[in-house]
Amino acid sequence: MLHEITLKINGEEYQVAVKSHHTLLSVLREQLGITSPKRGCENGECGACTVILDGKPVNSCMVLAVEADGSTIETTEGLAKGGDLHPLQEAFIEHNAVQCGFCTPGMLMSAKALLDFNPHPTEEDIKVALAGNLCRCTGYYRIIEAVKDAATKMEAKK
Amino acid sequence: MRPFDYYKPKDFQEAIALLSQEGKKTFPLAGATDLVPMARDERWLPDIVVDIKALPGLREMKLTDEGLYVGAAMTMNEIAASPLVKSKWDVLAQGASSVGHNQVRNRATVGGNIATSSPAADTPPSLLVLEAIVVARGPEGERRIPITEFFLGPRRNALKKGEIIVGLILPNPPEGAVGSYHRISRRHGADLAIVGVAVLAYPKAEGFGWRVALGAVAPTPIRVPQAEATLSAAPGKPDEAVISQAIQEAVAASKPIDDIRATAKYRREMIATLMRKAVEDVLEKL
Repeated sequence: MLHEITLKINGEEYQVAVKSHHTLLSVLREQLGITSPKRGCENGECGACTVILDGKPVNSCMVLAVEADGSTIETTEGLAKGGDLHPLQEAFIEHNAVQCGFCTPGMLMSAKALLDFNPHPTEEDIKVALAGNLCRCTGYYRIIEAVKDAATKMEAKK
Repeated sequence: MRPFDYYKPKDFQEAIALLSQEGKKTFPLAGATDLVPMARDERWLPDIVVDIKALPGLREMKLTDEGLYVGAAMTMNEIAASPLVKSKWDVLAQGASSVGHNQVRNRATVGGNIATSSPAADTPPSLLVLEAIVVARGPEGERRIPITEFFLGPRRNALKKGEIIVGLILPNPPEGAVGSYHRISRRHGADLAIVGVAVLAYPKAEGFGWRVALGAVAPTPIRVPQAEATLSAAPGKPDEAVISQAIQEAVAASKPIDDIRATAKYRREMIATLMRKAVEDVLEKL
């Protein structure tokens, strides 16, 4: 069964025909060429596919694309503005919070959703927000430091 | 994933007609956090998936004469953050905030958590001590099922073909009631509970009334009446001897299994540890 749906992704509107059983992750990656959300466990364990759906981070591997009809979606492709990296991206680079990079887009989206909603997170808030994102390289310490630093810098810019 | 058809009806008549079709495997869909992984593994083989999130009342939460009405499609994060839920039904907020991780809690719904009927689900122990009532609607109309009669076995419940959970009624708890939910899992976030314990207590004429429910240690989430009676028989706050006896009775009432997450022996030990924590928590708040 095919469904004509509309998605607003990183500020741009897309109209796309999707199959009932296709996930948002597969439509983003394979039909729209938006590949920052990664296909990891496809089971809601790893968080590599995290996107922000109507303001909330979700695992796009566990959303049917048709369910997202009419929604607003943010992915890592939309973070940099006019060639300037988002403060979270800058902080991840500065703190060496990226090694292999596979988890990074998911980490960034979970972290962005946190800071959008809570600009002054405690370390515990950050850990809770990132609990659904696995990283097998960094040991998390640098990621948490990067999120803290980005929060401070974003606040200073206001 | 095997292909299926998807519908998102706006009224119950259409939804129930779709779900009642003979000869088809039909599934209601709310948060999709159970359905999509199960369909992908082809453990569930839906022909028809009916998204119930646009049905009237399913995304509502409101106070009524009976208590708090929580629409079936309210998410775990919405429930965990709700000042209404926290006001008198906080033990459910604690259960909801223990489910999976943030991304899952933004999608998983309370209706889905009980409809899937995993013995290890995190909201049922809280719903059991709150004596919640499940409101279901199907081909024969609407009916109410006490949560204590809802779970029939692992992934089995009292719902009939074509019936969906519309919402839950959380009755007003006795005056002064306080609750606590404790759980343990292999990974904090993402994994199912190895053991979950919900405890609720309230002042009564002499001493306190106690309710205790366990998750992940029997074919369904269970209340443990003997342990409750022991705690409730204490003339005031139960002392160490009474608490130890109640814990032993709760462990004796459980029927845990060995599985990939833990051994039965470990689960029994953890019932004792978590129940003690929950009782102590409640005693502090009483």
